[in-house]
Amino acid sequence: MLSFLQQAWLIPLLPFLAFVIITLTPLRRHNRGSALLATLLIGVAMLVALGLLYEVTDGWQIDSNGALAQLPVNQVPEAMGEQIEFRTLAPHIVRTIRWAPAGDSAIRLGFLIDPAVALMLTMVTVAAFCIHLFSIGYMAEDARQARFFAFIALFTSAMLLMLMASNLILLFIAWELMGLCSYLLIGFWYDRDYADPRQITPRRAAIKAFITTRIGDVLLMVGLCYLWFQAGTLEIGNGAGQVFHPDFLQRIAHEAGPFELTTASAIALLLFCGTVGKSAQVPLHVWLPDAMEGPTPVSALIHAATMVAAGVFLVARTYPLFVASQILPLVAAVGAFTALFAALIAVGQFDIKRILAYSTLSQLGFMVAALGIGGWTAAIFHLVTHAFFKALLFLGAGSVIHGMYATVGHDTNRAQDIRNMGGLRRFMPVTYWTYLIGYLALAGIAPFAGFWSKDEILATSLQSGQPIILGALLLASLLTAFYMTRQILLVFFGPFRSAVAIHYSHDENSSQHGGREPHESPRSMTIPLIILAIFALGAGALNLPNSHWLSHFLGQPTHAFNPTAALLGTTVAVIGIALGFALYRRAFTAGEQLDPLEQRMPGVFRALHARLYVDEFYAASIGRLTAVLIAISAWVDRQLGRGLSGISRITAVLGRINASMDEQILNGGADQLARGTTASGNRMRQLESGKAQDYLALIFGGVLVLGAVALYLLHG
Amino acid sequence: MTTITDAIPLSWILVLAGALFCIGLFGVLTRRNAVGVLLGVELMLNAVNINLIAFWRYLEPHLVAGQVFALFVVVVAAAEAAVGLALIISLYRARQTVNVDQADALQG
Repeated sequence: MLSFLQQAWLIPLLPFLAFVIITLTPLRRHNRGSALLATLLIGVAMLVALGLLYEVTDGWQIDSNGALAQLPVNQVPEAMGEQIEFRTLAPHIVRTIRWAPAGDSAIRLGFLIDPAVALMLTMVTVAAFCIHLFSIGYMAEDARQARFFAFIALFTSAMLLMLMASNLILLFIAWELMGLCSYLLIGFWYDRDYADPRQITPRRAAIKAFITTRIGDVLLMVGLCYLWFQAGTLEIGNGAGQVFHPDFLQRIAHEAGPFELTTASAIALLLFCGTVGKSAQVPLHVWLPDAMEGPTPVSALIHAATMVAAGVFLVARTYPLFVASQILPLVAAVGAFTALFAALIAVGQFDIKRILAYSTLSQLGFMVAALGIGGWTAAIFHLVTHAFFKALLFLGAGSVIHGMYATVGHDTNRAQDIRNMGGLRRFMPVTYWTYLIGYLALAGIAPFAGFWSKDEILATSLQSGQPIILGALLLASLLTAFYMTRQILLVFFGPFRSAVAIHYSHDENSSQHGGREPHESPRSMTIPLIILAIFALGAGALNLPNSHWLSHFLGQPTHAFNPTAALLGTTVAVIGIALGFALYRRAFTAGEQLDPLEQRMPGVFRALHARLYVDEFYAASIGRLTAVLIAISAWVDRQLGRGLSGISRITAVLGRINASMDEQILNGGADQLARGTTASGNRMRQLESGKAQDYLALIFGGVLVLGAVALYLLHG
Repeated sequence: MTTITDAIPLSWILVLAGALFCIGLFGVLTRRNAVGVLLGVELMLNAVNINLIAFWRYLEPHLVAGQVFALFVVVVAAAEAAVGLALIISLYRARQTVNVDQADALQG
């Protein structure tokens, strides 16, 4: 009993083991074997995580002495008013080791399980397992499968470690590991090039993602250092010597820090910069859509379900610091703005994965906004449900792309363009039905999971009395329903628009170059879709308005069901769907080449299609600035070079004077010395006969001399 | 009862050991045959053994250190003989001779 709590360290270790085995053993040459091993080990980790969740739900707890106790299930009062309430729960188990001890002090690293962590662990392992399973089918043709599975297992391990970390240093280490894996996996097809030189290639996308998130990560590291200098520790918890100790929070909430901020605000702001980078909030959002250059399962796992949610989790984890600070309104504003901004851009995209990427940005904005207005439970709830339905949608998109390869060949640009699709529901029924479930969940239609979590965020914003945030989120919801309706109509309904391609390329008669009808994906790909669809359908049951299971589980105040919010949310979703249906029902049918929205509002649509010119703006501002700085430093270099050559001429003159002095005075003596050494060396050479007996005689002579010295000189 | 320690003074035994050592050293330095050199080395080792045993017996018979050292020397000598003979064999294979004067590859 209770083995799961104690064995929680297995959860990140198992995927790591998969990574080590695949990388270090000959298994790396066996594509199938490495795929199966990684999937198997993440499956075991998932079972451990499920067992852990079960024990945490039962309230079992192990204290530092190893004693067992069962807590009563959390009963919490209903939240009242606009005051932000947050309670830090006692962890269910903490196990640490002393790391890098220096004198008396050492950093204690280890794992910490509390209800939120247990929930996240379950979510991540389930999603990761489904995505591993999907990848077996999706990556079956790829020659570098072992590399893929090694990286994706390492990523899963890092994500799980980040969730469980008991110390912000360990959290940061895992955070950076995730960034590395993200880089490696975005650039997985590093040898791919496109015909259009302006289109971003996977390797450039990887560098872009790495550098953009680095901006946030450096600021996060500065924030952690600042916090460490203030608190003297980075351990998570509210006990003595931990970062959320009430006295410490009290102190930094009132102490003046830099730039007329309180210390708490400065720390929270720096931590939030890490979130902005990792969760791709405006203004650092530009890397996420281009991260779609990676394989689709990577997009599903890293850039939809887990890693990008890590930023949200970081804020949730350090929430007491944010509550003590004054920057929560900023957090809410950034989140709400991102939600709206990204939803707008999603309307103008044609790439099936990029639409989902902007949708992910928008939904992450929802979560960040929820945290900013005090909806901690709502944010975690939306994080979990979103992970399921967004992973489902990405895998569905992967399945569609996989099917499209049969028609258009291995050309990602054509296979991912929704203008080339249409009517796929006839070819791919399982993908269609599961995608439909994901679509309804994302659009926020009851009773799908997305409805309940989004409703909770809307209800919180209604209650917190911030009409601007509420308005932005409602508008974003409307746009979400709109662009998803557009996508699903163009992908699954109407006639199949690549039918012409089939007709023409029949002669080639080659499976490599497409020319066949799109087909349903193999079972290893449809089963994960079905599992995730069940979660996307049912995950809303975690926090139904009448039970509030999740709020009790997380020990946070509950909110009464708000009929106004539910009504508003459903209304905007229905309006969005209706608008989308009205506009796109007949799109691209009668030989039209233009998007219906482009026919009506060409300027607006072109701006949206060009992603509101953010990339161009960065290129013109920061990129240009960097170019100018480079030019300036090149000029300075040249001037310095000129100065240096002057100095070198003086040095040369001095050197010549020196040389003549050397020649006359020093060299003669040195030569004499050298000649003497050579002569004595020649004489010494006679001794080196190369015969062992001669050497031995010399040694014995030496011993005799030393013995005589010892006897007659030292002892008198 | 007269024991050996009463009958023979320690110095006689040391003279014996010294003589043995010198004979061995002479053999090592003058023999041209590698096997002879090895024999000389064995003689020197045994001279040392006699020294060890003598000092133990005459000066501190209640301790075992002298005996143990002598045993160690015997064991090491056995190993050394084995290695030495192996070296001689490989020397012979390489140069068709065991004359140590011709094994002068160490010459500078």
